[in-house]
Amino acid sequence: MDEKKLPDVLQKETTRRDFLRGTATAAGGAIVLTAVGGMVPKKAEAQYSVQAVAGTAPYAQKYLFAERQNCTGCRSCELACSLFHTGTARPAMSRVWVYKHKDMIDLPVICWQCDDAPCIAACPTTPKSITRDAKTNGIVLNEKICLGAKCMKCQEACPAKYIRGNPDTGQPLICDLCGGDPQCVKACHDQAGNPQGPCLMGRPVGIGVNMAYRSVTPEEAGKDLANLLFYPNVEGKRVVSVKTKKGR
Amino acid sequence: MAAPKGGNFGKVLEIDLSTLTYKTRPVSEEILQQYIGGRGLGAYYAVTEYKAGKNPLDEDAFVFVGPGPLSGTMSVSYRTCFVNKNPLTGLLSHAETGAHLAGEIKWAGWDGIYIKGRAKKPVWFSVVNDKVEFKDASKMWGKTTEEAHAMMISDMKDPLIRTAVIGPAGENGALQANIIVERYRAASRSNVGPVFGNKKLKGFAVRGTKYAVPVVDSANFLTAARTAKTTNVQKEAWEGIKRWGTGGLLELKHFLHGSLITKNFQTTWYPDIVNIGGEEAARRFWKRHAACTNCPTHCLKLGVLRDGKYKGLVAEGPEYESGGLMGSNLGMKDFGQMIALIEACDAYGLDNISTGGTLAFVTEALEKGALKPADLDGLKPKWGDGDTYMEMIRRIAHKEGKAGKFMAQGVAKMSKQIGKGSEAYANVVKGRELAAHDPRGDKIRAYSYTMGTNGGDHHEGQGSKALAMTAMADSLCMCTFTSILVWGAGSDKIVTDMLNPLCGWAMKPEDYWTTAKRIITAERVFNVREGVSSKDDRLPKRMYAEKLPAGPKKNAVFTDEDQKKMEADTYGFFGWDAKGIPTEATLKACGLDYLIADVNAARKKHNL
Repeated sequence: MDEKKLPDVLQKETTRRDFLRGTATAAGGAIVLTAVGGMVPKKAEAQYSVQAVAGTAPYAQKYLFAERQNCTGCRSCELACSLFHTGTARPAMSRVWVYKHKDMIDLPVICWQCDDAPCIAACPTTPKSITRDAKTNGIVLNEKICLGAKCMKCQEACPAKYIRGNPDTGQPLICDLCGGDPQCVKACHDQAGNPQGPCLMGRPVGIGVNMAYRSVTPEEAGKDLANLLFYPNVEGKRVVSVKTKKGR
Repeated sequence: MAAPKGGNFGKVLEIDLSTLTYKTRPVSEEILQQYIGGRGLGAYYAVTEYKAGKNPLDEDAFVFVGPGPLSGTMSVSYRTCFVNKNPLTGLLSHAETGAHLAGEIKWAGWDGIYIKGRAKKPVWFSVVNDKVEFKDASKMWGKTTEEAHAMMISDMKDPLIRTAVIGPAGENGALQANIIVERYRAASRSNVGPVFGNKKLKGFAVRGTKYAVPVVDSANFLTAARTAKTTNVQKEAWEGIKRWGTGGLLELKHFLHGSLITKNFQTTWYPDIVNIGGEEAARRFWKRHAACTNCPTHCLKLGVLRDGKYKGLVAEGPEYESGGLMGSNLGMKDFGQMIALIEACDAYGLDNISTGGTLAFVTEALEKGALKPADLDGLKPKWGDGDTYMEMIRRIAHKEGKAGKFMAQGVAKMSKQIGKGSEAYANVVKGRELAAHDPRGDKIRAYSYTMGTNGGDHHEGQGSKALAMTAMADSLCMCTFTSILVWGAGSDKIVTDMLNPLCGWAMKPEDYWTTAKRIITAERVFNVREGVSSKDDRLPKRMYAEKLPAGPKKNAVFTDEDQKKMEADTYGFFGWDAKGIPTEATLKACGLDYLIADVNAARKKHNL
């Protein structure tokens, strides 16, 4: 594969992904699949053990970032997330989701891995149903003790209005960073060819920016982008003088 | 009747608008394996349920809305296919559209939506998983497509619900009317708008959260789906579609390819294209790229006009077809005005292609004196006259006055009505307006126009093999951009590698071709029953009679020899006789024995 077509300025070292790409060229893509798509859900260790393959530090991606303007609304992040966590392609089960604003803007709604984690603070159970994994920085849900739909204090507390309910159990869908190797980031990068580059990124540090971005709700972010891109028509109204009544 | 193991649920949602009820229509593994889904499954319903001469606007006429087995899976991009008997042409037609509708239908647990009946007053319906609700559409009736779309979203209190609606054009029965999906995507080439309008159905909205498409062998399916996607991402040629959408083809076909339709197919040389084409749009208009589900190609471009008469207009396009039909075809030189025409068609729910063809035909007929302004309620369209074209679009959508009613019948019927030599420039195949590729400059496109089921459709496949591959793509409901056009001859293996682990089938690559032939031949039988034969598989007169006057393909013309070669190739490939009628041996080989009697009756009736 010609790497020039897949610019990846954010990952200068040889990452696991690059490694797998290289291998895939030789093996016709089969290896990538074994690692990316063909995992067996609910066996966490088996999923995460591939971290060591490329020789990079495990659990490197402790924060998610989104260049919202680059989102094309393809929802491959949703598909990859639900595949990883449930073994099926089912966006309603995804821990990342694409919000559509006024038919003009698509943008990803992600967990910013807030350093003070208001969701955990709000969780009323003892012990907490949601906790932060010290190794991966992901937020992990204990399905056995979570009160589910009748509680959802975490959802209320989330400043990004990110947390959704699991349509089957009612419990919150929260990002566990796939154990340090976010599948949504990979899926987004695989949409290579977007002239603007990928939208989702995983980084080892949050540099405080996550704490600033986290207070922006999907709707506010949509308004921002509508202003930035579609000014002066920030409401996205169709302003062709379409007359819908007869008569002349 | 076995239930499907994977790829499908074995359930089609059957909507009866006459009684405002719904039920589950089971669909068996055998049928799904033979007809796949989407276009193929719709063709199966049409050919088995309809008799020859069926009125497409009958109360019990159906519209089948089909995703395919790959929709809602990790497969690269999915589309939705609308299948119905076409009220413009009287033949079987299918229209594909992108966006996110297909996945939502599957995640709601359905393999398709079969809509029949006629409501007494305007309705729409919502499908959220297993729950179907019929709702009053009287407040939506008369509203533009984006207004109805917004009303559905606000009624459902769900910004992620996916909609498909008609505009005023469909309500009023203009034959160019289409369905607009999620505001910007159109299902046009089966002219399904007037069918919805006749059923008093404004549209529907779908959201699926409950189900995942069952997969028989997940590991192998994911490997194959991954390979299919990687093949897409790696194709360098597709960088252009990513950057300019299909709008970039406007320049390509003018400068290099010699097939950009101009002024009702008078030429293919249109230097003003630089003012209205893809690069102009990229410079001044486009603000972002948008994609259908899981698609790396993101060909939809959204922009906003920042000056001119239509300042502030947020619009999608130009695509190649919309920019060709509403741009060079009408002699437009002003980018903003062209975009406004495209957007007005979308707002009213009119097919850009059929409407653009209609406007251009009327303009030329006026130029040549076959029509007088008095015939058009005083309208005097001239090439490039955006304001008059805007008014004509409005009148078509409302069938307003003599001019509106006249134009809303489409080019074929207008030409028949006025005569006066106008058939020499009535650019239709099987009664349908041609898309934006001039077949004199783009000869292989003639296959798509003439040999495809729809007639006049640019999207049926260029070449006999491509016709077959397109039938498969439309039945799997994959976009051709992300499938056959990048996979080429390897499509058979890539597709069967995905389908077998997904559905638990054992299709060999050669079965891919048999299935494609079965679907196309079933569609052909449907049209043969309506009297179609080789005499109808012909381009418009102009393509044989007039040489291209300028451009890279100057002096090119579609010759009788080209025609003969194309017929022999296509009929030979599909196993049809010299008149384009499927032979008994072919029907048997395709497992279409049940249609032999129909074909024999049609031969007798239409003297074929």
